[in-house]
Amino acid sequence: MWHITKRELYDHLNSLRFAFTTVLLIALMIVNAIGYFGEYTAQSTAYQQKVSASLDKVRSNADSLYNLLIEGPGTLYKKPCTLSFCANSGETFIPESADGIGEGVFMTSSRFSISTTWRMKYPQSNPSLWDITPDYTNVDWGDIVSVALSLVAILFTFDAISSEQERGTLRLTLSNSISRGTVLVSEFLAALITISIPFLIAALINLFLLYTSGSISFGLSEWGRLGVIILIAFVYVSIFLGLGLLISSRVNSSSISLTILLLVWVVWVVLLPSTIGALTSGLQPTMTHNELAARQQSLASRFFEQYDELWRKTPSREIPATEETLLWSKYLTEDARDNQRLNEEHLGAQIAQIQLARSITRISPASSVRYAIESLAGTGFTRHVQFLKQVRRYAGEFRTFLIEMDRADPESPHALGPKEGTSQKPVPFESIPKFEDRISFSGAYTAAATDLLLLLLFFVVLFAGTFLSFLHVDI
Amino acid sequence: MRDNVMFLTLIRRELLANLMTFRFLVAMIVTLLLVVANTVVLIADYERRLINYDTAVKQHHQKFLKRARTYSEMEGAILVDRPPNPLSIFNAGLDRRLGNSITVSHTCVPTLWDTKSHSADNPFLNLFSSVDLVLIFQVILSLLALLFAHDAIAGEREAGTLRLTMANPVSRPIILLAKYISAMVCLILPVIMSLLLVLILFSISGSILLNGDDWLRIGGLLLTSIIYLSVFYLIGLLISVITRRTATALTLSMVIWSTLVLIYPSLSVFAVNRLWQPPSQLEAAYREIEQIWEAFEREQTDFLRNDSVEGENPNFNVPPSGSYGAYQISDPITLKYFKVEKRHWTRIKPDSEPQIPHVKAYFQFSEPRRIRAAERTGQVRQKALDHVYVRKANMAKNLMRLSPAAMYDFATEVWAGTDFHGIKGFITTTQQYRQTIIDYFYDKEAFSARKWFSIDQGKVDWSDLPQFSYHRREIWTGMQHASGDIACLLLINIVLFMTTFLIFVRQEV
Repeated sequence: MWHITKRELYDHLNSLRFAFTTVLLIALMIVNAIGYFGEYTAQSTAYQQKVSASLDKVRSNADSLYNLLIEGPGTLYKKPCTLSFCANSGETFIPESADGIGEGVFMTSSRFSISTTWRMKYPQSNPSLWDITPDYTNVDWGDIVSVALSLVAILFTFDAISSEQERGTLRLTLSNSISRGTVLVSEFLAALITISIPFLIAALINLFLLYTSGSISFGLSEWGRLGVIILIAFVYVSIFLGLGLLISSRVNSSSISLTILLLVWVVWVVLLPSTIGALTSGLQPTMTHNELAARQQSLASRFFEQYDELWRKTPSREIPATEETLLWSKYLTEDARDNQRLNEEHLGAQIAQIQLARSITRISPASSVRYAIESLAGTGFTRHVQFLKQVRRYAGEFRTFLIEMDRADPESPHALGPKEGTSQKPVPFESIPKFEDRISFSGAYTAAATDLLLLLLFFVVLFAGTFLSFLHVDI
Repeated sequence: MRDNVMFLTLIRRELLANLMTFRFLVAMIVTLLLVVANTVVLIADYERRLINYDTAVKQHHQKFLKRARTYSEMEGAILVDRPPNPLSIFNAGLDRRLGNSITVSHTCVPTLWDTKSHSADNPFLNLFSSVDLVLIFQVILSLLALLFAHDAIAGEREAGTLRLTMANPVSRPIILLAKYISAMVCLILPVIMSLLLVLILFSISGSILLNGDDWLRIGGLLLTSIIYLSVFYLIGLLISVITRRTATALTLSMVIWSTLVLIYPSLSVFAVNRLWQPPSQLEAAYREIEQIWEAFEREQTDFLRNDSVEGENPNFNVPPSGSYGAYQISDPITLKYFKVEKRHWTRIKPDSEPQIPHVKAYFQFSEPRRIRAAERTGQVRQKALDHVYVRKANMAKNLMRLSPAAMYDFATEVWAGTDFHGIKGFITTTQQYRQTIIDYFYDKEAFSARKWFSIDQGKVDWSDLPQFSYHRREIWTGMQHASGDIACLLLINIVLFMTTFLIFVRQEV
């Protein structure tokens, strides 16, 4: 078997397509490396600046608990990832922050001056509205693997069986008491090795460039994740090798074999992920913009009816809190809570729509491999959902903290909301819980494992199919 | 006569040879399935955007009536919207991406960089890029063209049928021409069937109404598609002529196809976007704009100092009632910079009445100057922003043009009206609308009207304010932007055909 593999390998290495593959992969990887020079450094500097600006605001608000209650914890930012050059395609459409901020709505009358309290808001993704450059992909590892590597895999296998059949060498090989399984496996191995050589070289050049430019400091975690990404790439390539062998063994002429393969490839890899994504997002309707506006309206009018006597009530600093103060506190708390809930419901509906569409697009291994690389790189949609989870947890912490600090102040009537009912003591900045976005890669590995399993399944099915079909084919 | 018969026989043979193949069948089915699936999605998307547009127009009008009670409160209250383009189904272009809502006021000349986006239901959906018809043709039919062409000569040479054909008294150009015509017929067939299917889907949905211009545009799209496919067929034919073996021709074709159609366009835009930073003139422009407005402010202060009322108070010592606002918008990135003064006085006491002529004179003095400052700002701004952003986009586009697929994309964008210049037509219309509003103000003598600042004698009646209306530009006005690409594609066709012809004529069979 090793003998056939070696022969095939030698054939491949001498071919035009091998030259093309090498040039293509190395060119892509170099462009990728140059494109992402200094990307991480720039991103983390910007991140630090934004976070410290946000914390400065919190520090200045910490002079009184009431101010913290009005202004909230400020904008919470998502930490940049070291491996963004691996998967960056979706980043333009995914927001980098969530806002825990005040609304700046004031209600004033001769009796009172009240401001609504902070709540979580979720800004929408903000692709530039005046970016007039043509559509393009970010040429990240995800693109290189999902498009270029699979294409290369097809180029190396479309005539693996059929050309030998055409030339008659297959019959010759089989007459040497070599089993068909062996032939198939050695063809497969030869193609895999041929592709892995330029791919690994290109990847190493890419990493070397990024490493020497000092844009990345690689730790153990990064190397581990890169290793898994490359492993996933190999599984993914194997799928297309399997596909190539399957078609090649069923079809007599290599021209027809390539036609079928390329059409299958274009549809499966290039067009289907987007088409299916767009189609299936229609299955799970989201809350439309108009619905959201209507819900907000109805919430406002509900409060208006429920609290119509509120406008005649004056909050005061009496201890224990008067009924009036408590009513104001109740209103302001409910207003912040219900509006935040609505925001979260809106966001939840959007996320559910995307997640359903994403799970269905996995019928294309190109999507699976992208998602797996995304989760390992720590970018993309899954990562954003993780970030949002942390944001929600933190929002709860911050709220509890305010209540506890207020409780600890004997001079406060403990009716959080109106100025009169809230502690106005300064809060030690150190004791305020701070948001820190933690990237958990245990979750990433689990997410990637699901996709990897799916890819393996594809591979096993295709390879088994190839094997069975090859056994029964007449030569 | 004999030649003609021979020619027709050849064409018939080639047609059958192409049509009856497995690859044609598969490519046809795949194309049609993709076209139907994506058109359904795109029509639904268009309908959603149309609903959002209608809602936005209504909301913006109501908001305007609610907010603009005095003339000066018109500032920032008029929002106009760009309707979605039904032909974006053919080539989405920039129609979905660019902002579609813009504020029109006399204090700022609207540009592309001031656009906002009215409501999208789920912006995360952008994660799934849209596949439009042009993309399907661009990718799948170019592949089919190469598959037809790669063995047109090489295959026959290998099989020996070429020599057989030549044994008849038939000239080589005729053979080449017959092959070309019959293959093109086979390639046009799926394009036309796709277009028919799309039109059927349009009429089923009922929401997309095409006018006469749109039919011409679709015709232009069809024509450009044919020219594009012809380029790829001729590339394949050239390869077929120069290679000895079909297998080599096939591999070479695929390498060229994947590079030209899939890899190179993305790669070049990415490279330009990441690696090319044009020297920015934004800072200098920003300073210039600041100076324009400082000069404006100086004039204002001078006026206040020289008028007969004591102090430099722009409220002329009228006791406050209602609201008063003077603020400044400034953004160094988009160079949006202007100063605004709004008044909404609800009550004017009789003893303040002598001051009112002064207030009127103040606005009559300052507002025309504000308009002039805004216009001068607009010029500086447009130039500086174009220099940075438009130049970069053009650079990327020009680099992309090395691939015929990109030229095809750009040319069809223009036909569909979703290219940059098509969207810019909307911006130009808003600029004209701003002028209309200013003229309206002059007609009404609004700047010197009491209603500019006060509602004590009633709110402004906006019923005769000219309405904004936007029509996509006429088909021929935009064509200059496509003509270059189309001419280039034609030129490539001719060069390829000549080269193939010359090589084939001199070749031994």
